[in-house]
Amino acid sequence: MNIPSVPIVLSEFYEQEVEKARNDGLPGLRTQWIRGPVWAKTRDELRRDVINGKNPITGQPVMKEIVEKFTKPLTEEERQTGEIKRTRGPDTFTDTAENLHKMFLDKRYTDFLPIVLPTPERVADMLKGTSHDPDETVGKMSPTQTGTYFEDWTYTVRDVAVNAVMAGCRPEYFPLLLAVASTGKEAISVSDNSFVGALVINGTIRDEIGLNYKVGAMGPYAHANTTIGRAWSLMSINLGNGGKVGTTYMGVVGNPMNLINIVIAENEEESPWEPFSVRKGFRKGENVVSLFEGWGVLSAANWKAASWGAEMNYPRIIKEIFDQQGFLFGACAVLSPPIAQFVKNAGYETVEEFEKYLEPAPQFPMGKMAPPKAKPESGAQAKAAAKTEMPPMMGGYSNSAIIVTGGTNNNYYSVGGLRYGRSVKIDDWR
Amino acid sequence: MKWHKAMAVIAVLCLGLFGGYATPDNQAVAAAAAEEKITVLNPLGTPPPIKLKQMAPRLDTLEGKTIYLVDDGFIGGDNLLYEIQDWFKANYPRTTTIFKRKGGGGFDSPDPELWAEMEEKADGIIIALGH
Repeated sequence: MNIPSVPIVLSEFYEQEVEKARNDGLPGLRTQWIRGPVWAKTRDELRRDVINGKNPITGQPVMKEIVEKFTKPLTEEERQTGEIKRTRGPDTFTDTAENLHKMFLDKRYTDFLPIVLPTPERVADMLKGTSHDPDETVGKMSPTQTGTYFEDWTYTVRDVAVNAVMAGCRPEYFPLLLAVASTGKEAISVSDNSFVGALVINGTIRDEIGLNYKVGAMGPYAHANTTIGRAWSLMSINLGNGGKVGTTYMGVVGNPMNLINIVIAENEEESPWEPFSVRKGFRKGENVVSLFEGWGVLSAANWKAASWGAEMNYPRIIKEIFDQQGFLFGACAVLSPPIAQFVKNAGYETVEEFEKYLEPAPQFPMGKMAPPKAKPESGAQAKAAAKTEMPPMMGGYSNSAIIVTGGTNNNYYSVGGLRYGRSVKIDDWR
Repeated sequence: MKWHKAMAVIAVLCLGLFGGYATPDNQAVAAAAAEEKITVLNPLGTPPPIKLKQMAPRLDTLEGKTIYLVDDGFIGGDNLLYEIQDWFKANYPRTTTIFKRKGGGGFDSPDPELWAEMEEKADGIIIALGH
């Protein structure tokens, strides 16, 4: 379309959208910045804050600016066409260790914790963990939903190795990291939801590389779990240009789990059900990593439904929790083996049967937005309408996931919002 | 409590004997190591080139023109556009505004049908809401 347009965006997204417009080839895009939020305001409030308000960036009246953005002739800069080539900078840096640590920190190549400096020797060691050519392109990544909104950065096997070294990984973890990198899925999403990434790992590789799937399974209590999770975040920062507050990170309150993400090796040996990967069509014992994203999980004891008693109906409790928390971005239960066994003993021979039990009444189908509503009146009526309308459903119970991990020393388990993305074979990257 | 004091004295002695052990030789080695330059690899991926796009020519006036107000479905965007519509009615009575809810299944998904309609009828587009 060759029609003059004015997108309206909250001023809180100024830096992000200026960068995005530039990367999309429209550095002069005439965006109208307004004071947020818009969501949940009445029309009276919107008239006061936006229509009769000022652009928080320029201090000029919003509507005057909108008219000017349609009618002011294009500048020379706005008429420019062509291609701007970019590089990532030099392939190597040389300095003292102290200065290099400082430079990596200043350039935001790190997660703000000390890193292992990626010397050629250490990177060469890491590359011994795969037979793939160091110059092979592994994939593309962006700060959210690669291939859609942000520009995608590309990376090679060597680039992944550099980040694996920085995170403190061992070469034997490398095929798993390459498998994760091959999906292009970021661990740190730009979303204002403050999402966290999660990996579920199945197969013999769990023991091979020392992943913990017993007591403390989801925590930083094993070298492999901790450094693999950290490497995924460093890959998001450095290979996918994620995690930069104001441009490629907009999580409103942030998420402490972004540091090492949620790395779950399933406790297949003590689970009463088939491994998660088998339920996704892979062979039992096959080394598979499955990727998730969401708000994260926390102890089920957080919910009132999980009250304590001498006898517990865990299926009913989990259903009550699922019903309370909603499914906008997926629902996930991470069950310890005893809880999973309780559920199975209650008659759920398979996870699929249990998931069917958890299924709620149908909502808006996935991908379809809520129908447009009639033009509401100003004032109290609009306020009441705003309160009762729900955001469009973007998921459903098909997003639910049941995973079994952890110890058997008590009846604890965790529940939360994690949406399954995809599963990939790890051994393809050996 | 006497034994506590005795242990404290022993600890201090141990620190004095072993903790602060440093000779001019190993100080020099440490200083040299700190000054030694090393090479590390760049950890970044590669960004794509930027392909500059031609912006659409502007309008000479809004008088008599048709402006589409496109709601991308983000909550509250419709109310904002209704208010913009009212503002145009009051301030640019000869400008036609048409409100549309974009389809396509997502905030940033294209809506080919609406796109075609605007290609034919719109002189300008305001789209809300980028959050």
